[in-house]
Amino acid sequence: MGFQISDKAKKVFFGLIGVGLVLLVAGLFTQTKFLFPHLDEDHPNDLEVVSYAEDLDDYSEDLVALKEEVKNALGDGYIITISEGEHGHEAHKGGEHVEEGHEAKPSTHHGPRLLWNIHISKTSGASHDESAHDAGAHSEHGNSNIKHGHHDASPAALLAGMFESGTLALPDHGFRRFWSNLLINGFFFMGIALGAMFYIALHYATESGWGVVLLRIFESVAGAIPFGMVLLLIVFIAATLGFNSIYPWMDKDIVAHDALIQGKTGYLNPTFFWIRIACYFSLFFIFINWLKKTSKREDAEGGVDLHYKMYRKSAFFIVGFAVFSSTMSWDIIMSIDTHWFSTLFGWYTFSGMWLTGMITIMMVTIYLKSKGAVEFVNENHIHDVAKWVFALSFLWSYLWFSQFMLIWYSNIPEEVTYFEYRFDSYKYVFFTMFVVNFILPMVLFMSRDTKRSWPYLITISLIIFVGHWFDVFCMVMPGTLFEEWEFGMLEIGMFMASLGGFVLLIFNGLSKAPLIQKNHPFLEESKHHEF
Amino acid sequence: MADKVIYAMYDDDDTTKDAAQHFVDKGVHVSEVYSPFPIHGIDPIIGVEQSRLGIVAFMFGLTGLAVAMIGIRYMNIIDWPMNIGGKPNFDFFHNMPSFVPVMFEFTVLIAAHGMAFTYLLRNKTLPGMPARNPDPRTTDDRFVIELRLEDNHNFSVDDLLSMAKQTNIVELEEKTIK
Repeated sequence: MGFQISDKAKKVFFGLIGVGLVLLVAGLFTQTKFLFPHLDEDHPNDLEVVSYAEDLDDYSEDLVALKEEVKNALGDGYIITISEGEHGHEAHKGGEHVEEGHEAKPSTHHGPRLLWNIHISKTSGASHDESAHDAGAHSEHGNSNIKHGHHDASPAALLAGMFESGTLALPDHGFRRFWSNLLINGFFFMGIALGAMFYIALHYATESGWGVVLLRIFESVAGAIPFGMVLLLIVFIAATLGFNSIYPWMDKDIVAHDALIQGKTGYLNPTFFWIRIACYFSLFFIFINWLKKTSKREDAEGGVDLHYKMYRKSAFFIVGFAVFSSTMSWDIIMSIDTHWFSTLFGWYTFSGMWLTGMITIMMVTIYLKSKGAVEFVNENHIHDVAKWVFALSFLWSYLWFSQFMLIWYSNIPEEVTYFEYRFDSYKYVFFTMFVVNFILPMVLFMSRDTKRSWPYLITISLIIFVGHWFDVFCMVMPGTLFEEWEFGMLEIGMFMASLGGFVLLIFNGLSKAPLIQKNHPFLEESKHHEF
Repeated sequence: MADKVIYAMYDDDDTTKDAAQHFVDKGVHVSEVYSPFPIHGIDPIIGVEQSRLGIVAFMFGLTGLAVAMIGIRYMNIIDWPMNIGGKPNFDFFHNMPSFVPVMFEFTVLIAAHGMAFTYLLRNKTLPGMPARNPDPRTTDDRFVIELRLEDNHNFSVDDLLSMAKQTNIVELEEKTIK
């Protein structure tokens, strides 16, 4: 009937899922919980360590173990004393970066916070008493002693480095990273399907002719939407039942102490949230299934009646999608950073979805073409899809920058914290993501020749594809994991497993229907598409 | 050296395309086609080369971007730094985000105008330049295929005329140009 995926390819994708799941489980058991050191230049023998754990009671045993580990971390030459303390103001006077760090931290942090004041002294210099850091002279004396020791860097900096690199860290029993990743992958892969679905609707509503030969591929990509939906539903159900704290506005304790969230409860409350989610998901699900069914009926019956029906329904879908794509991104992604808001956010996420949707369509088309399954698709069709990738990269960059520039320029505290946080803790991933997703397609997809060369298309598109995964990563992680993010086996594993499952679902869709809509009124035009 | 030119006139873009195909199939070189609007798909038939206008546009764009950056840096950073909303005005890089719209618009401005003027200049159709189309009706509803004897040494004028008569011409003209 349709295109049957070869056993070899099937093995590759099932292998991808398998390896991904193994990595995922391995990542789950090795995930760490970070403690954040703050160095104070005036007191080189002291180190302040903070952790943002929401419930430290779970960690009491691990904390004792870690304390021992810290005490022995620098070897025999030093005595390390750890005192747990309240976050007093004396503790970080003069340490400007400490205060900055606290300002940049979104106030969604809540619950008990661990604070260790670590003091380091040298064993050989017996004259150092514990309160050496009070007197400047002593402190400098101690500092010079330490400099004569084995290490070039000060021991406090050394210790701070161990905390930062995760050598000294708690094993994480919570599943915050797991839930955040599930949300990222759910949204990313639903976005791909949604981008393709929007494009079909656009294709019908504008009565375009060029892409008719690709419509079945669009349909299969859009038809893989349940994959993302299911992942997201798992996250939502867990969030509503209190298994994860991705959405702070779902937690009654937080809302009770937060005037800003209280002002938003009219919109952000679990009941209304579920009503909206039900609306979005049922609209998307019903529309794509109706479309697939109707186009198959058109294959059997012919005529233009069904075409006009699809044309009208598609136009209505775009109207609904215009509203829902914005509110959906607010509900699912923007409400993680509950205090923050941006009206551009909906378009920004939508442009990313559309772009990744076009990339997926291109990859599937190129694969089918290389297998000789779609002889009616010529290089002009693929060139056109590549043009979309080029144009949408610009749209995405434009919206990213518009959102950034307006917030940067107006510098209103409640808006700017969003970017400050990303600049502080996510600097490299955030900027690399933007530069790659903007510069690469701009420079390399500009010329006609690269848009017609498969190796170019595949390489660059896949890089941008991963780049946009990191875009979603940067949307979600700073709001759920704060500074404690990591990129490791868990992230890679879940991405691989999701990709494998999603692609298999697309090929499942392709196997259900012939690859060409033989009674589409614009079929002849599309077959001779050339420019 | 005097050269003979044959102008075959048509009243439809499709017949023009078919006629051009007819000539090319016979081995005739079509020197030029005059038409009121671009005819889709005629370029590969008469062997028009890929336009280099895109490269020019890219270069104009780069020029615009460079001019904008140099200009802004001189005006708003060096010569007269302005404090607007407390934004950093001591170096270009830190204040760059607020200049991006200007840089973008200037790139587009120079690229678009440069491209348009290059196009008009290259086609010798800048305002005030003498018209080079053989018949004023080619700007209205007529299509003309130009065949030069100079380009077709294997054919005589009569050959070309008889070939043109096999197509759906509406007028046929033979001229000698110096």
